[in-house]
Amino acid sequence: MATADQSAAEVSQTKQSALIPEGVTYRLVSVLLMIAAWQVISILVSPKYVPGPWSTFIAVAKHAGSGALLKNFLATIVRMLSSFALSMIVGVTLGTLMGLFRRGERMLDLWVMVGLTVPSLCYVIISFLWLGLNDRAAILAISWTTFPSIAINIWQGVKAIDQRLIDMARVFRASRWRRTVRVVLPQVLPYLMAATRFGLGVVWKVTVLVELLGRSDGIGYMLNYSFQMFNMPDVFAWTLSFTVFMVIIELGILKPLERKLFRWRPEISG
Amino acid sequence: MATITIDIISKLFRSRAYPEGLLALDNIRFGVADREFVCLVGPSGCGKSTVLNLIGGLDRNYTGRIEIDSRPLSHDGSHPVRVGYVFQEPRLLPWLTVRKNIYFALESIGVPHSEWRQRTETWLEKVGLAGFADSHPHELSGGMQQRSAIARAFAVDPEILLMDEPFSGLDELTARSMRQQILELWDTTRKTVLFVTHNSFEASYLADRILIMSPRPGRLRQEMKVELPRPRNYESSQLFEFSVQVTRLLTHGGNGM
Repeated sequence: MATADQSAAEVSQTKQSALIPEGVTYRLVSVLLMIAAWQVISILVSPKYVPGPWSTFIAVAKHAGSGALLKNFLATIVRMLSSFALSMIVGVTLGTLMGLFRRGERMLDLWVMVGLTVPSLCYVIISFLWLGLNDRAAILAISWTTFPSIAINIWQGVKAIDQRLIDMARVFRASRWRRTVRVVLPQVLPYLMAATRFGLGVVWKVTVLVELLGRSDGIGYMLNYSFQMFNMPDVFAWTLSFTVFMVIIELGILKPLERKLFRWRPEISG
Repeated sequence: MATITIDIISKLFRSRAYPEGLLALDNIRFGVADREFVCLVGPSGCGKSTVLNLIGGLDRNYTGRIEIDSRPLSHDGSHPVRVGYVFQEPRLLPWLTVRKNIYFALESIGVPHSEWRQRTETWLEKVGLAGFADSHPHELSGGMQQRSAIARAFAVDPEILLMDEPFSGLDELTARSMRQQILELWDTTRKTVLFVTHNSFEASYLADRILIMSPRPGRLRQEMKVELPRPRNYESSQLFEFSVQVTRLLTHGGNGM
């Protein structure tokens, strides 16, 4: 789909060295090209099945005006953030335990792998059966799907900690607190960042799925509703709004955060 | 007064391969006088780094007694003196600049904030890195990183200086200039130094006294006083002949080495 390609093209740009002006030019050009390609595909296939950019933008404006955009976005975001927080807490705790203690690793690694491979649909159905068609079940399902990937990232991060740097800090009489905060934490930070990125990506997808299956508001619900009504411009409109929001998070929050935290890293030149 | 008195009866490493414990050190007994530069020389695996770890407080697990400045090194977390330690790798925190790395050590060891800037700049200048205080470690060469680590060790104004093969990871030219520089730095501050190496020439050039260790289990085989005059001359034939003697002692009479 054109909109999915568009967001993928923008999000996959991982050049950390891109100064803001340079990145904006490239990205702007790619966005415009994508919109052009989208228009072409729409004409070639049929505007009935693949609405073009213009009718999609009109649909978005309609939702914005009616307040539906805000209402459904809010519902989705609340579910997303709660699940993300829960998955991070569980995932980071488990990952840390697995990284620090071999016994913990041996006991938990199997279940983390299982957790990772079970289709999210299973968690969604089981949660709804268990807790009913409500937001508690939604958050459980989303968190359940997400925490294994976070745990794995943190697990690897903790195992990768350089004991030699800790020894250096010990020899200069750094307290345990200082060693943990000033020597261990900065080493785990890149893995936390990766876990966040990954976790958010999974949370996005599963939230929409959960809403489609068992909630009565939110982006996922609206996507499904529009599809059932065969209102293709609306389907595209919700997809586009969703995508744009995700891109704003990536470019407005995650990338600057990453740039700031990892300024010291040597750049890989290819 | 920073003297070191070592009386290690035994040091065991326990692991799955050696559950009863592998004897790493056996009756290591020696002293380092105040302001003396002593080199501990031995083949790889003889336990010389282990001795340094024990003195530095990184490893508390041994049978015996270590005293620094006549104060015993306890088997728990505390340590009686300020230790400056230079490892084989620079061990700089990669996300901090050179300056911040030194500040980290100064802060950890308890130097007042007001002294940080001046100490850092003084010592960076002495090791020839005056303009590089705000560079990150990855922007520096291996030799420059190691020099930063040396500046860090001196900046904390340690009572004893422990160095574990600090130049073995460097190319010969850089290592040579570092050896000369370390002697210059030591000459102005006259700290008590225990320097570990497997290089008999390096030991002969640097030390007042050389202690030769035998391979595992590490034992002290021989002690040699280095009577060569200071400042030492890198090209001196006397130095070379002396180092040949050291090498001979290192290789002769070992376990078939």
